[in-house]
Amino acid sequence: MITLALDIITTAAILFIVAAGLLIVFGVMKIVNFAHASFITVGAYAALVTSRFGLPPAWAPFAAFLAGGLIGAATERLVVRRLYRRPLDAILATWGLGIVIGQLVTLAFGREVQFVPAPISGTLAAFGVDYSLYRLLLVPTALVIAGLFAGLLNGTRLGLSTRAVIMNENLAQGLGIDSARVRLITFGTGCGLAAVAGALITPLASVDPNMGLAWLIGAFMLVMVSGGSLLTLGLSCFVLGGLQVLASTFISPILGGLTIAVLAAVALRLRPQGFARA
Amino acid sequence: MPDLATVHDVAAPTSSSGSPRPLLRVAIAGLVAAAVIVVGPWVLDTYTVNILVRAFFVAIAALTVDVLWGVSGTLTFGQSAFFGIGGYALAIVFNQFGFGPGQAILALGAAVGATVVVAGLVGWLSFYPGSTALYASVISLVLPIVLVQILYSGGTFTGSSSGLVGFESFDLTLESWFRLSGLAVIATLVATSIALRSDAGRVLGAMRDNDERCTYLGIDTARVRIGLLVIAAVIAALAGFGYVGFGAVAAPENAGFVFGTQLVVMVALGGRGSLIGAVIGAVVIEVASAYLSSSLPFVWELIVGVAFVAVIVVLPGGLLGGLRDLGRAVRRRAAAAPAPVILRTSEQPDAAPERNAIVVEVAGLSKHFGSLSVLSKISFTARQGELVSLVGPNGAGKTTLIRCLADGRERSEGSVRIAGHSIGRLSADRIVGLGLGRKFQAASVFETLSVADCLRVARVRSERPSFFGTSPVLTLPAAARAVVESSGLVERLGDEAQFLSHGLKQALELAMVLALEPKVLLLDEPTAGLTHAERQRFAEILTGLVARERLCVLIIEHDLDFVRLISSRIIVLHQGRIALDGSVADVVNAPLVREIYTGRPASDACGVTP
Amino acid sequence: MTFTRSLSALLAAAAASTLLAGSAFAADPIKIGVPVGLSGANSVVAPSVVQSAELAVAEINAKGGVLGRPLALEIADDASGAAGAQKAFDSLVFQKKVDVLISMETSAARNAALPIVTRGKVPYIYTSFYEGKSCSPFMYVNAWVPEQQVPPIVDYFAKEKMAKTFFLIGSDYAFGRGMLAFTKAYIEKTGGKVVGEEYLPMDGTDWTPIISKLKSAAPGALITSTAGGAPNVTLTKQLRASGVTLPYGNLAVDEGTAKGMGTDAEGIFLSASYVTGIDSAANKTFLGAMQKKFGADLKTPNDLSVPEYEAVYAYKAAVEKAGKTEASAVLKALADVAVDGPRGKIAMSQQHHAALTMYLGQVQADGGVKVIQSFPNVSAGQQCPNLKP
Repeated sequence: MITLALDIITTAAILFIVAAGLLIVFGVMKIVNFAHASFITVGAYAALVTSRFGLPPAWAPFAAFLAGGLIGAATERLVVRRLYRRPLDAILATWGLGIVIGQLVTLAFGREVQFVPAPISGTLAAFGVDYSLYRLLLVPTALVIAGLFAGLLNGTRLGLSTRAVIMNENLAQGLGIDSARVRLITFGTGCGLAAVAGALITPLASVDPNMGLAWLIGAFMLVMVSGGSLLTLGLSCFVLGGLQVLASTFISPILGGLTIAVLAAVALRLRPQGFARA
Repeated sequence: MPDLATVHDVAAPTSSSGSPRPLLRVAIAGLVAAAVIVVGPWVLDTYTVNILVRAFFVAIAALTVDVLWGVSGTLTFGQSAFFGIGGYALAIVFNQFGFGPGQAILALGAAVGATVVVAGLVGWLSFYPGSTALYASVISLVLPIVLVQILYSGGTFTGSSSGLVGFESFDLTLESWFRLSGLAVIATLVATSIALRSDAGRVLGAMRDNDERCTYLGIDTARVRIGLLVIAAVIAALAGFGYVGFGAVAAPENAGFVFGTQLVVMVALGGRGSLIGAVIGAVVIEVASAYLSSSLPFVWELIVGVAFVAVIVVLPGGLLGGLRDLGRAVRRRAAAAPAPVILRTSEQPDAAPERNAIVVEVAGLSKHFGSLSVLSKISFTARQGELVSLVGPNGAGKTTLIRCLADGRERSEGSVRIAGHSIGRLSADRIVGLGLGRKFQAASVFETLSVADCLRVARVRSERPSFFGTSPVLTLPAAARAVVESSGLVERLGDEAQFLSHGLKQALELAMVLALEPKVLLLDEPTAGLTHAERQRFAEILTGLVARERLCVLIIEHDLDFVRLISSRIIVLHQGRIALDGSVADVVNAPLVREIYTGRPASDACGVTP
Repeated sequence: MTFTRSLSALLAAAAASTLLAGSAFAADPIKIGVPVGLSGANSVVAPSVVQSAELAVAEINAKGGVLGRPLALEIADDASGAAGAQKAFDSLVFQKKVDVLISMETSAARNAALPIVTRGKVPYIYTSFYEGKSCSPFMYVNAWVPEQQVPPIVDYFAKEKMAKTFFLIGSDYAFGRGMLAFTKAYIEKTGGKVVGEEYLPMDGTDWTPIISKLKSAAPGALITSTAGGAPNVTLTKQLRASGVTLPYGNLAVDEGTAKGMGTDAEGIFLSASYVTGIDSAANKTFLGAMQKKFGADLKTPNDLSVPEYEAVYAYKAAVEKAGKTEASAVLKALADVAVDGPRGKIAMSQQHHAALTMYLGQVQADGGVKVIQSFPNVSAGQQCPNLKP
């Protein structure tokens, strides 16, 4: 019972970390970044590189953020910028970008599966059971990330500009806010965050050029359902992630993998704009 | 007096619709291609033939993606799922029951049957009044994922992760498979080209350009899309059936999301919307990846990825589209002889409508968004032969009222009757059937269709269009024809709507709505942006419609001079309520109106707070 | 005069030696197709398989090739799955027209490939351990089947670890299910009880719910049979992260993967026909040669890669016995030749399968495997009774 509850909470935390970057891009720019999966992969390989160079594992998320952020900003400038009026085409172009980035990673690192040693191993005796310490630590990590972004959005000038652009871009531009710069920073941050997620999940999985793909659909559906609010995202991760764990445990792991996608599709049918203002 | 049919020669067309004898050209091209296919195996080596058989089946699937995406505007990642259903139906039946003619028929039936059910379900889920293109894409994404997981959980029945192998399948020679698959591609290509170039097919292009306009022309776009999806799904399933029948291996990869996206990439690179681009894109990519993936595995996929991104961003027409534009620029096409468009007037309906029957009855109509009340207890009636202007300051709820009249699901409370029938919760396209025509504020036409084709689409409700050819005859009711002729549209019948001036676009939209032969016409600020002359002409048209055709016209307007000129009655809306409802004389001079518009209180304010 | 004479003698000698050297490999090469999982689940072990093949080919060519012809390798990626295997085999058999296929693949890939092998009439030596009972007149197997590999582990857990209850975890495909089906039957035959049997699809990475079930079932021992490579690693990592310390028998892990897993692999029991610690002259020579050829790039030779090396030699022997590379002659000869290699003397004479010496080992902290028991000459049992020997 306790194990199940911990499974749910940690799964929700992992889903949140993976989906947050996608949400930020979608919320501000109203386009879906299908290259998100490849940025997760970039982050994982950044972690690989830091471990190969013998640097302490704590540096991995930062290296990942840097790598993801820079590549993300570059792609926004070169490609995404031209697609704001064509959201469906933006999905396709970012998917193509994902392929390109994935192939570049493969060319650099090879197709094989690689391994990054876990920075923290072992279990923690929590609430009477032995539970993976690393998984438990991802929960406060998720909260920290959420807090950081909430703070950025609500407490800084950049955050204020971003919120203005979210609400009414034309008006914001009219008031002198450089919305192009806001979009650049937002996209770069979203991709950087995806990379951080990649770096954080490597100890639980293996690193290969296609690893991000498995997370893309789930993250995408969660973002659609959340409709642009970080808080709703957290709730969706909790509810849908929890249902996924329950389905995996009590029905079958295969059908569990379906839960998020199917339930999110049904939820969107009932409320197409997502649940942000629920 | 109804006019005789007149033939109008069209000046050099800028669109491809109406080009001469398309059927013949397509048929000839098809025959040539078929001949090439028959000869093929004698010229090519075995390995190439092998790859091409697979490529042809994939090309058929890519073609279905193009029909759904390039032609009708629904981005779909899910055609791979139907491909997989077709293939797995064959594999499962042959695996369970062995191979034989009975089993083959069973497998075919299972493939088609399962596909129809799944496609119908997916269509019902994705296409409904108010659905967005993004949601339809989302569902198309989820479908192959769900299907693959179902395949994984099927144990030995579906082969799970390994797929199904080792079953006996059709024992044709490689050359026969080549001819079969090649001819299948050509047949599908020819059939789709003919169907999509036909009058019926043009509706799809209209739906892609402007779905809302189609709905308000009485076309149930949801049903059309679902039907189209089912047809495309069955074709993709048959392609999968052939693919697995040939290779005797059914693997989950053939049904999955990655394959689905590869189909989209093929269509994009080949040229979306061109049909042949999808086939070329699919064949080129399949063949090249078979040859290059062993020698240049990573670089090849990188090249495809880069080309794909470049095409999406810069060259939406794909490589084929780019070549076509180049060719057009070089050749400067004026060659195509313009197809004549024959305008005919439809017969007037038998019974002359009563001079002034009530056609609009609104009672207690209210609309709120949560606690915000936009319309409050609106009640009025309108008769045939009345030209009612709805005036009021911005935010008074005029457009909302129009929406509530045109779409049964909009209002929160109250009832609306059009021509004696309650609209209940009917969707907009059904209300068009009751006799309502709505013209939008921003000219809502089909940008890439010619003027004649826009009008043809508007007539779809009254005359079933053909699936095979295009008719040169355009039948319009007298009122619509009058608009077309008096506005000068008659000289521009072959031009694409996007090249018309603002005034002409408005006239076109009016003609399209009149082509519905409505009893009630809703107009939303129709004179915005018109020149003085155009405004005059418009006034004449409206008054003529009301007098001769006995239409009931409800018009939202800001230009009070125009209102005074044409209206028989004025309703003033203010803050969601009817403030005044009376004749022109009553309303125009009322101090209340002055007050509402200027916001300054008159000496005797009647319940309106400043 | 002497100058011209010595000059012409020199030229003659030069011409003769060029002619000789040229004629040694004037014949066109014998092509060996190696379709292997360069991407996908097998990508962890594929490099070691390729290295084994390369060493065998280099050694044989250095000694003059086979029937005077050099060997050449054609490597293709089967993406570790059925769809990829179709493409790879099509390319090797029909485009590159190889003379023989020698490779290690997942069961999904092998099953999809067999019809192509049959159609192309190419001999196929399958060098991977698998779930058994896959039969084709064109295929020979020189790696183990469950009858050889499973009993040592189960017996050891039952006798030495006093395990009466077992929990089974696997990847959901032919190998995973086949191995665990055999294991379950063997456990029940020897008096044990299976308290849980769970599967994830081959590409699944989240074992959390299965691990939770494992912990609540509290069995005496755990036996797993996942696809080699990535699924093995993710399962082991997640098991260790949840603190599972049960006796852990892994039917699908090899030394190389175990090394890659690092400390997480310590304590795993495996049963294999090859470990690097085999104390024989042949093995030592082999390891030395591998080290010399690949140096720092060497991937640890393991139970999936060494059979590849030996299979190339088996092919050489069969071709030399048959006197030609023609398929039916070679296929006949393959049943009769025996090859001395790092795993000992191996002949694929038991219904296209081979009797093997099996080793029960445990992974140590440094990633090496310590041999606990060895079982010489274990029969493959009745794999393909319908195939003519």
